[in-house]
Amino acid sequence: MDLKRDPQDIYARWLGAGAWLAFALSLLALFLYAGGVLAPFVPLERLPQLWGLPVERFREQTGAPTDWDWIGYLRYGDYVGLAAVCLFAVLSLVCYLRVLPAFLRHGERLQAALVAAQIVVLLAAASHLIPGAR
Amino acid sequence: MPQSLGRNTITGMRLVLLAAAIVWASPAAAAGQSPVAWWVWPLALFAVTFALGVVAVLAGVGGGVLFVPIVGAFFPFHLDFVRGAGLLLALSGALAAAPALLANGLTSLRLAMPAALVGSVTSIVGALIGLALPADILYTALGATILAIALVMWRSRRSDHPEVPANDPLGAALRLHGVYHDQATGRDVEWKVWRTPAALAAFAGVGVLAGMFGLGAGWANVPVFNLVMGAPLKLSVGSSGLLLSVVDSSAAWIYLHRGAVLPMLVAPSVIGIMLGARIGVRLLRIAPAAAVRGTVLALLAFAGGRALLKGLGVWA
Repeated sequence: MDLKRDPQDIYARWLGAGAWLAFALSLLALFLYAGGVLAPFVPLERLPQLWGLPVERFREQTGAPTDWDWIGYLRYGDYVGLAAVCLFAVLSLVCYLRVLPAFLRHGERLQAALVAAQIVVLLAAASHLIPGAR
Repeated sequence: MPQSLGRNTITGMRLVLLAAAIVWASPAAAAGQSPVAWWVWPLALFAVTFALGVVAVLAGVGGGVLFVPIVGAFFPFHLDFVRGAGLLLALSGALAAAPALLANGLTSLRLAMPAALVGSVTSIVGALIGLALPADILYTALGATILAIALVMWRSRRSDHPEVPANDPLGAALRLHGVYHDQATGRDVEWKVWRTPAALAAFAGVGVLAGMFGLGAGWANVPVFNLVMGAPLKLSVGSSGLLLSVVDSSAAWIYLHRGAVLPMLVAPSVIGIMLGARIGVRLLRIAPAAAVRGTVLALLAFAGGRALLKGLGVWA
């Protein structure tokens, strides 16, 4: 179906659907978290004593996970909220992956190379493999 | 009548921001031991970001550039979390607008892609630098940057349809040209760009600032597209949003992995600024533009000055 579509149209369609999904899931996650449906890892009452600390000290005080370790904490409301937030950050990567074959089909090799390089950068950032990031 | 409604709205927004300043200035808040319930702060954040969303649309700026200095100055959250939330806020705002702008041609994917690649690499570098710097140096640099942004916004001139004699070689190779339909004039607008290498260098610098301070970078992207590359103003504004969504995604991962993104700050901010932006769009026709722009510049100058003085230890 997408064979003859311009890459820009494909990007717009995927970004539109993904953004809608991310907003909807964010609202649901906020309801589950702030509404008390799912218990938070960091109690809500403690937050005012913690959110003024630098992130390193916040992690020391709470034992909060880093990298992708929070995946193991998805039973808690705050990490369900974080998962919803991550959807916003992953959308560009998904759209770039989707338009790469479209650029190749259109014979736009230089644009395809740019897309491939962008995918590498986004994957490196998302996977936390960048030197100095840890 | 509509003019007075616009003025009343601006006055209301100023009061919301003033209320936030009073809460922030209370001794208990300054001591980091708030006597109020936890939910008061996210609620206040929602109110302030709602006002920022209205103001941002009316002043023609992204909400991200207002969020970090103002929330960083008036709320008890550490700058690490404010910057993480600022990136997600700018990102979500850009994602909300980009699909429609891409579909109607007011955003060019091909124009945004090279800038996004350069900007996303440097935004990661900026995020790493920002998370490594001590708070006082960070506040000083943020304050200086915000004051510079206010100056750029005050002095910058824009051109609806800049004259571009021909694509430069890199721009031609990247096919940075096209046509979009301008619904306001009912005609098709052909565009092409030049000075691509200089623009990419500028986007690299903007990426560092975006990652380091968690700022949306529309304030810089639009002038680079418009004044350096010669892209039409509407295309520059549209493509800036898409560029910002990719650049901020890259930097956001660094903050996410470090644990510097608190959903309790991000969620009310994103919802507040998006609802505010919808009201802002409705008020766009009747609000006094000069007064709004003056308010935004004054807010930026105050918040920037506050951050600078906090960093220098003059106003702790």
